[in-house]
Amino acid sequence: MSEFLDVFRRPDFIPLLVTHIELSVVALLLGVLIALPVALAVNRSPTLSAIAINIGNIGRAVPSLALLALAFPLLGFGFATSLVALTALAIPPILINASTGLRQVSPQVMDAAKGMGLSGAQILGRIQVPIAAPIIFAGIRTSAVQVVASATLATFVGGGALGQLIVLGFQRNQPAIQIAGALAVAVLAIITELLFGFLERAFTPKGLRVARKRRGK
Amino acid sequence: MIEFRGVSKTYPGSARPVVKDLSFEVLDGEICVLVGPSGCGKTTSMRMINRLIEPSSGEILIDGEPNTAMSGTKLRRKIGYAIQQIGLFPHRSIADNIATVPQLLDWDKARIKGRVDELLELVGLDPGVYRDRYPAELSGGQQQRVGVARALAADPPIMLMDEPFGAVDPINRSRLQDEFLRIQEEIRKTIVFVTHDIDEAIKMGDRIAILKEGGVLAQYDTPEEILTNPTSDFVTSFVGADRILKRLSLTRVSEMELEPANGSGEGLPTLSDRLTVRDALSALMGAGVGRGVVEGEGGRRLLTMEAIEGLTRGARA
Ligand SMILES: Nc1ncnc2c1ncn2[C@@H]1O[C@H](COP(=O)(O)OP(=O)(O)OP(=O)(O)O)[C@@H](O)[C@H]1O
Ligand SMILES: [Mg+2]
Repeated sequence: MSEFLDVFRRPDFIPLLVTHIELSVVALLLGVLIALPVALAVNRSPTLSAIAINIGNIGRAVPSLALLALAFPLLGFGFATSLVALTALAIPPILINASTGLRQVSPQVMDAAKGMGLSGAQILGRIQVPIAAPIIFAGIRTSAVQVVASATLATFVGGGALGQLIVLGFQRNQPAIQIAGALAVAVLAIITELLFGFLERAFTPKGLRVARKRRGK
Repeated sequence: MIEFRGVSKTYPGSARPVVKDLSFEVLDGEICVLVGPSGCGKTTSMRMINRLIEPSSGEILIDGEPNTAMSGTKLRRKIGYAIQQIGLFPHRSIADNIATVPQLLDWDKARIKGRVDELLELVGLDPGVYRDRYPAELSGGQQQRVGVARALAADPPIMLMDEPFGAVDPINRSRLQDEFLRIQEEIRKTIVFVTHDIDEAIKMGDRIAILKEGGVLAQYDTPEEILTNPTSDFVTSFVGADRILKRLSLTRVSEMELEPANGSGEGLPTLSDRLTVRDALSALMGAGVGRGVVEGEGGRRLLTMEAIEGLTRGARA
């Protein structure tokens, strides 16, 4: 047990944890910054939306390890390689959810908004985005959890992060290090899930929460 | 005033027009009902007024100006818009839903709040109770009222209503219709009202435009005229075989010119002058007599079969 706790006192634990978080946060942020504008831009065109959703679905089918393997020959070892691969991993769920969410707003609501004189941008900002917010946040949450879990693999391309502990424990045949590393990743993933779950609820407009509760009855 | 001038619409990719050479005028303060069988182009015609749809040819004038004189969004903020599916914004409170257009027009907060409460009162919803609720917490009929209030929010001179009471049950629909007519007495808007129900058209319309297949205007007239003098077989069959009875429902006995009963009312049934002529006729027939005495503000007067027939004179039975 003390052997196990010692892992968390290793001088490299905190830096690895920090790298893991850094990598995840930056990748997620980039993913949001790329996927959301694309979803907003294609929203007006059914064809472009369908294309975006399909690209998202294909992207989702590519395993994270394959993404790393693809990025490695292009960018070599290091943080950047991991970041690119993780960003690519973060994009699809956000892109899919945002594109479908924005288009799922009922045609009657869209018609009423247009008929009352809201401009295209106003309809998007005041009607579509708030109504799609829970779906968009659900996509971001999925991305975040995936990125946190997959950042573990960054160690294979020299990206550091908590995966390094797992590999280290394996190489030295010290299961305690291995388990501690895995545990840290798991806890991080759970915290991410909870945090984004909270954000998702916080950003769900009250009217939609009320509607959901009513439907549930 | 809204003026259709030779308006036609052919949707892209379709060979035949769905609205064909439509010309008529909607007078200020009147309810003009567009009625006709499904697919005859009622919704399309209405949506061309606020340019949700652009005509293929012809033009629509509003107060003498082509409706293309300003941008579509600006135009639409000046025209109230209420639809059957209501389309309330689910994420916004009732107050915010109603405030949509005033907010777009940058009214100040106090003015918006005052207006919201005033409108909720107008459509019969207690502001204290409903202001802060959300659409999901309202019944269909209540949502319908909010939809009407929202369309009225910025006090637009013109309202477009597409089967606004289509989604509610017959009892509530009748109540909403009555309420709306009462509101219209107060607000005197120029209204284009779409329905496929001829009875609703007769009840709501100051004037009725009957469209037939292919978006052709079959007849444009007052309900009374359409019922007594339909100009084509299409209109005759569309208004129904009971058109004469429908015509009689449009007039109350108090509105008829009747002779004073003097002494001749002995032994005849007595009727209230608040009855519609149709109900009075029914009462006379029920009593098995051809005449009755009407009591009301005009004193005791004599209602006869001849007087009733006078109402529908000119009808080609
Ligand atoms: N956007 C569109 N593209 C192509 N055709 C359309 C479009 N909108 C309507 N139509 C067609 O135009 C015709 C008239 O439609 P419209 O909605 O104006 O009819 P309506 O009289 O309102 O019918 P209803 O009583 O069923 O509402 C219909 O045949 C319909 O299929
Ligand atoms: Mg229609």
